[in-house]
Amino acid sequence: MENIQVIMDIIVHGGNARSKAMEAIQQASEGKFEEAVRHLEEAEQELNRAHNVQTCLIQEEARGNKTELSLLMVHAQDHLMNAITVTDLSREIIRLHEKLFEIKDQ
Amino acid sequence: MKKILLVCAAGMSTSMLVTKMKQAAEVKGIQVDISATSGHNVDQEVEGVNVMLLGPQVSFRKGDYEKKFGDKFPIDVINPMDYGMMNGEKVLEQALKLMGN
Repeated sequence: MENIQVIMDIIVHGGNARSKAMEAIQQASEGKFEEAVRHLEEAEQELNRAHNVQTCLIQEEARGNKTELSLLMVHAQDHLMNAITVTDLSREIIRLHEKLFEIKDQ
Repeated sequence: MKKILLVCAAGMSTSMLVTKMKQAAEVKGIQVDISATSGHNVDQEVEGVNVMLLGPQVSFRKGDYEKKFGDKFPIDVINPMDYGMMNGEKVLEQALKLMGN
């Protein structure tokens, strides 16, 4: 695969994950928990795809095939790291919203 | 001239797409102004815009942008596949379609 294609794969799947996780939070804040959980699962699937590309790059480097380091590659890593953080935190935020709704219902 | 604005998190990957879209427009002989910006700079860049396209990484903000600019110009998310492949021609088509050309 071309280097640029590898980079875009990480950006797109990482970006999709981030967007899905953010949507999940929005839905949880409206009390739509089933949709929120579904979006969170989709976010995790997207994250896995991005992460698989990343793993391939690391394995290649370990085998001695170094990847060319461009600013865009660094940017793709930024996207991935950000997506992982947002997805992790969204899980906690959804839980908080669930608690808030429970309290409201009492 | 019609103005297309692409928005992503940092305006970096969309900038590459802008280059590809400009090439596609040139081949087709279409006169169009295409630029990219980051989500933080949108307010300063929307002047005279005819269509706004969002990168997949900011697709969750579509609702916010629609509330803000929905009555001014159409807003849509770039097809993730075309985005990933950096398919300037397809994305240009998507933009033209949204503007009703």
